[in-house]
Amino acid sequence: MSYDRAFATTWQLLLDAICTLMGLGADRDPPVVLSSLPDLPYPVKGRAPLSFIQGPPGRNIALAIGLHAALPKAPLILIMNADSVTLGTNHLIHAARRNIGMTLLLLRSEVTATADGDGDSLDRMRWGLPAYQQIIETAPTPLDWVSALDAAFVGRASLRDPDHLAALIHEAVEASGFSVIGVTAEADLQLGVLSRTEWPEYFTAYREWARPFQQVGKTVLGKGKSGLHKSSRNVPRCEVRIAGFGGQGVKLAGTVLSEAAGLHEGLWATQRGDYGSATRGGPSMVDVVIGSDPITYAGADHPDVLVVLSRGAAQRYAGAMKPHARLVADPGEVGALPPGAIPVPVTALAREHTGKPIAAGMVSLGCVAALSNAVSLESLRQSIAEHVPRGAVAKNLAAMEAGYAATRRALEGGAYA
Amino acid sequence: MSKASFMHGNEAAAEGAIAAGCRFYAGYPITPSSEIAEILSGRLPEMGGVFIQMEDEIASMAAIIGASLGGLKSATATSGPGFSLMQENLGFAVMSEIPCVIINVQRVGPSTGLPTKAAQGDVMQARWGTHGDHPIIALTPSSVQEAFMLAVRAFNLSEQFRTPVILLMDAVVAQLKEKVEIPDPGELTIIHRITPPVPPREYKPFAFKRGEVAPLAVFGHGYRYHVTGLMHNEYGYPTEDPEVVSQWWEHMTTKLNDHLDEILQWEEAQLDDAEIALVAYGGTARAAAHAVTLARAQGLKLGLLRPITLWPFPEAVVRRMAERVQRIVVPEMNLGQIRYEVERLSAGKAAVEGVNRADGLQITPEQILEKVMG
Repeated sequence: MSYDRAFATTWQLLLDAICTLMGLGADRDPPVVLSSLPDLPYPVKGRAPLSFIQGPPGRNIALAIGLHAALPKAPLILIMNADSVTLGTNHLIHAARRNIGMTLLLLRSEVTATADGDGDSLDRMRWGLPAYQQIIETAPTPLDWVSALDAAFVGRASLRDPDHLAALIHEAVEASGFSVIGVTAEADLQLGVLSRTEWPEYFTAYREWARPFQQVGKTVLGKGKSGLHKSSRNVPRCEVRIAGFGGQGVKLAGTVLSEAAGLHEGLWATQRGDYGSATRGGPSMVDVVIGSDPITYAGADHPDVLVVLSRGAAQRYAGAMKPHARLVADPGEVGALPPGAIPVPVTALAREHTGKPIAAGMVSLGCVAALSNAVSLESLRQSIAEHVPRGAVAKNLAAMEAGYAATRRALEGGAYA
Repeated sequence: MSKASFMHGNEAAAEGAIAAGCRFYAGYPITPSSEIAEILSGRLPEMGGVFIQMEDEIASMAAIIGASLGGLKSATATSGPGFSLMQENLGFAVMSEIPCVIINVQRVGPSTGLPTKAAQGDVMQARWGTHGDHPIIALTPSSVQEAFMLAVRAFNLSEQFRTPVILLMDAVVAQLKEKVEIPDPGELTIIHRITPPVPPREYKPFAFKRGEVAPLAVFGHGYRYHVTGLMHNEYGYPTEDPEVVSQWWEHMTTKLNDHLDEILQWEEAQLDDAEIALVAYGGTARAAAHAVTLARAQGLKLGLLRPITLWPFPEAVVRRMAERVQRIVVPEMNLGQIRYEVERLSAGKAAVEGVNRADGLQITPEQILEKVMG
């Protein structure tokens, strides 16, 4: 030692204790120290620089979590006082309850400058609570919390016995997981190991859990369906809106349609929705825009093809269509048909072919295919097969084809041209 | 051969992060960014990386800084309320020059605001959210494809310039599904931080040379050094010496500004003969591009400037444009944050007006045209 311990500062005593860990062994990196306490002697004279992080007070614990994920073999030692603990309590509790590998040296409020009360140093290095606060506030007792949280290792050491402090830090670092050492200057507190709990360190357990997934990862990189990159067809921008209420399969219809055009036709396509709340019954709508050129605005504010499956949807959207646009309305749901609407009993067809009104979206897709050259029946068939459970493909295909046929029949029979 | 895929912007950003080499994610899920956390919680373990859900966004930001110091490319994702909580540690990353990526999918604020609705109200927060003058990079995608590409670029810039990079998304793009082509891994340029070419004894973790950044050693792994949020010298030790602090400022202000040609990206559409120009970014630029198509069909000479790098702002481009056009219209889903920049740069040479809304609804091409037509 190049100084008299009796006149050493708290920093000197702590760093000396930590530096005795430098020769931990070939399989471990030297310790990393994290602290936001002031007045660290820079650089620490007479020895190689420590790996030292001076993060924002209290945040060092969270910072150490990331550091430990990256450097599992480097012992992380945090030096904190009451203020840092107060700011970092949330982080401390979470690190402790997850048993993330790090060692906290928690300086009790009475720990000040020297091990033995040198006056000058005391004034310079007061890390504890201000004197008036020490009178009216009790010292923090996080040792009790972390014991209650089953921290891997909880102990207490005194600055009056630096060799014992160093030995205890060594023991804490070797414990697997979150460890805390209360550092005190009082002689009458119980010292040594206070509690130990054996359970797996968080990231060790995480890596163990993740190992089987890594084989999957190699095959999944760059996943996604292969699709046609470019169609030779020239399709002008086509805006499709399907609108009804939750439970009619509107969102799924949008996904099937946009992927049929985008991946199977090799066109550009977007899908944007306002699916309302997750519960059934609220308004739900999807916009799909398809074209040969990349789609800019993804809204179908002025649809070329509009399918309305509820009275509200008809009232809201029928007025905003482009001139000469096509409008399909389900008479059973919409009631009075908007002018020019092609009546297709969408929901009834859904029930007929699948037994469920949720296939209304599939029927709607058949209507869209009958009214627009933006997507072919064949692409829709492929996309449906990719998006509904295998056992339900035939029924959903039948629902879509029924929508197509009904729309064609209505077109041939009515004055909608 | 790349693959065509259908995905939303959040998924593309997550896949972009993976492709860029991100192997650590710490976050706290929040709408409308939650899918990024959800997807990475599955993708990272596949790639040998680590996903951790933290107690809050303060801790998330701290954890990605720690992991990055430990040598892992790291990211977090959030929305406005979480982005506010990240500002303290974001400043620490700026000060200590630690690469990391923050994806902010904006929603209407302040406070919890409109959780599920689209907005672009965090533009100035991305620039000035943490206290003190500081350099920062923010990128803003307008398409799902671009969300992927800019996620990769965010990591590249962050590694190259040792700086946090913000991928500033909006729900228009984050929640939009469209076709993307995911390049094969070999087709992408991936930049890794430079590691020290010198032995530990000669290593300086910071370099205050103009326009340069120091190599970044994996922390505590052979190289021992000091990292602090305090003003520091090239060894990382705190200092109050005004001369050293001046050198630090010189370094910090030039490390990005001397490389604007590598950082700035923007796109121009039909600006050559334009009499009126739109300046739009992110999801709003899609409506602006459509407005240009509609206006041109009516014989109106409208063009579009779309900043892709939002910070640093492409100032010279706007200055030049203001000399050529009569009017500039800036549509954005806020009350006029980039409009201030455009006004400042136009310096009275072109009239600048905004199309603004912060009610959760997207700006439509019609609203833009209405303003353009006057």
